[in-house]
Amino acid sequence: MVISPKHIFYEVSAVKLVVEIVLKVRDLSVAISGRVIIRNNNVFVERNSVVFLLGPNGSGKSTFLKAIIGYPGVEVISGNIVFEGEDITGKPMEYRVSKGLTLAHQTPPKLTGVRMRQLLEALCKKTGCDPIEIASVLEIKHLLDREFGKGFSGGELKRAEIAMLLAQKPKLPLIDEPDSGVDVDSIEIIASAIKKLISETPYKSTIIVTHSAQISKYIKPTLTCIMVSGEIKFCGGPELLSEVFIHGFRELVRENKREG
Amino acid sequence: MALENWLEKIRERAKSALSKPALYGLDVDISEYLKPVSGESKLDTERVSEVGVDLSAKAYYTQVDQAYFRYLSKIPGVEVKRIEEFIEENPDEAREYVWKLIDPAMDKYTAIATLKGLGGYFVRVKENTRIEDPIMTCLFMSIGGLQAPHNIAIIEKGADVTIYTGCTIAPESFGLHVGITEYYVEDEATLRYIMVHSWNRVSHVRPRTAVWIKPGGKYISYYVSIGRVKTLQTYPVIYLEKNAYTYTASILLGLENSILDVGGLAYLLGEGSAAEIISRSLGKDFSRITTRARIVGKSGKGHIDCRGLLLSENSVIETIPELLAETPNVILTHEASIGKIAEDEINYLISRGFTREEAVGIIIRGFISLDIKGIPERVKKHIETIERITAEKAL
Ligand SMILES: Nc1ncnc2c1ncn2[C@@H]1O[C@H](COP(=O)(O)OP(=O)(O)OP(=O)(O)O)[C@@H](O)[C@H]1O
Ligand SMILES: [Mg+2]
Repeated sequence: MVISPKHIFYEVSAVKLVVEIVLKVRDLSVAISGRVIIRNNNVFVERNSVVFLLGPNGSGKSTFLKAIIGYPGVEVISGNIVFEGEDITGKPMEYRVSKGLTLAHQTPPKLTGVRMRQLLEALCKKTGCDPIEIASVLEIKHLLDREFGKGFSGGELKRAEIAMLLAQKPKLPLIDEPDSGVDVDSIEIIASAIKKLISETPYKSTIIVTHSAQISKYIKPTLTCIMVSGEIKFCGGPELLSEVFIHGFRELVRENKREG
Repeated sequence: MALENWLEKIRERAKSALSKPALYGLDVDISEYLKPVSGESKLDTERVSEVGVDLSAKAYYTQVDQAYFRYLSKIPGVEVKRIEEFIEENPDEAREYVWKLIDPAMDKYTAIATLKGLGGYFVRVKENTRIEDPIMTCLFMSIGGLQAPHNIAIIEKGADVTIYTGCTIAPESFGLHVGITEYYVEDEATLRYIMVHSWNRVSHVRPRTAVWIKPGGKYISYYVSIGRVKTLQTYPVIYLEKNAYTYTASILLGLENSILDVGGLAYLLGEGSAAEIISRSLGKDFSRITTRARIVGKSGKGHIDCRGLLLSENSVIETIPELLAETPNVILTHEASIGKIAEDEINYLISRGFTREEAVGIIIRGFISLDIKGIPERVKKHIETIERITAEKAL
């Protein structure tokens, strides 16, 4: 077989596609107001991978995502974060977001006087999107003229937050609890919006923090990691999810230790 | 003769107050402004458009200093003229409206306006006349000195109208502006009043405003000060009869060394009357802003909402809400808060992909944007423009 230069190109890029790691988090320890919250965490996010991060309340999941995006007040005390091959550990959040990272907040703040429409329009102006279309994907057209976050129900707030992400068009979204406090039907809407979001990114990857098995009905994780007391104890395949819901975190961690 | 007598009495009364300081605000030596100023009074159309004045309006009144006057109304049912014209043509009627709500001897500013003031608009909107486009009025100071127009508006029964006033000044003119404004909103009529002020760092501003609202009438006022000013002090007074309603909003931007003292007083006289006094202060640079609001009630309900946002380490904001209930038939409430922009709101917006500056701009815009009910689309557009300009200037 004669290999044309064109072939080689395709071959090479295909290989690259498989192995490329979008985000590398190495030995990451983080403190907030001088108190160490998470310790020595390692996570690699490859192309086409959906990472689920699970763990008990207060174990440090949100802090972990905030550290990746560089939230002020979240202080990296050791380790590093590499995004698209660039070490961004010391870079401010503004820079990291401009590079394509974003965070869907577990609880976004209320913005007095700032209408949801105004925010979506401002984002769409930057990225080229249609606020109305995004609002209809998440079925929140009725929220457009409301002040962002003010009086939103728990579920509405989650939808609003995912709508923001769609408008933002990130390269790698970090999504904190998109499904908490959300009813069954709404989960389907949110999940399909997240799928759309992922499909519109160049790497088709994400990290999702979740407490429920509900969302996995729609979005299958390629990797599931368990964080307990500030440490990612282990990661595994989709089977880990059901084990968590059967045995709970503590027992799972104990068993895993026994197994070595 | 009767007319001369009446005016003479008013002047005599004013003379007694020529050295009487105002109840609030810095006391200014006004003798400086009594001297004649030389120069040609010219309208600076560019500056005027900065305060949102549309000179192509179908009904308008323009005054430069105390020398140049132009006015017109092409709208049926809307009368626009110079105050002196009104007094001369209808002396008997004028006595019912001119210096009726405001005492010429209130302080030295009303006194000087009585004795030295010239011009000002008389607007009458006939019964049941409803118009969406604002009546434009523009008070411009070009050579400085004193500008003290006396404005009167009578909004007859069932009429519905917006008056838009833009006041500004040439950049380095020493000016004292004392606008006397008396508005009469008759039964079931609605008057919306938008006023945009943009002065300069050497001007003193002392508007004196009073409004009488008859049963079922509505008075909605939206006041913005977006420019530098040496000192500004105003304290409009609103009287509400049965089922009358007022909503007054003041958006104050303190720049450089500006000293602003802006208040509002509402008297709830009649059953079912309601008043809301709102203020949003933005303190920049070395500015000092005081907002006062007072509601005195016999009946009905009143609410005060004063908020301040400190945008610099050196600016000062003070807010003084006062409630006085004279009978058990009144419900009065107030809320007030002063602080700086919440860092978590800025961070949130940065995580959404806005720059820090954009984030601050969005939050400031949100802070000054008010949900004013019953505003026609075209008037809303004006308010949105004002909000945008204010937020830009605050950055
Ligand atoms: N700003 C802060 N100041 C002090 N402690 C903080 C701060 N933010 C987080 N923490 C603490 O860090 C720990 C981890 O919090 P984090 O929000 O990361 O947990 P989580 O795993 O996301 O929990 P949940 O499942 O309840 O959302 C908690 O003990 C929390 O109280
Ligand atoms: Mg959390």
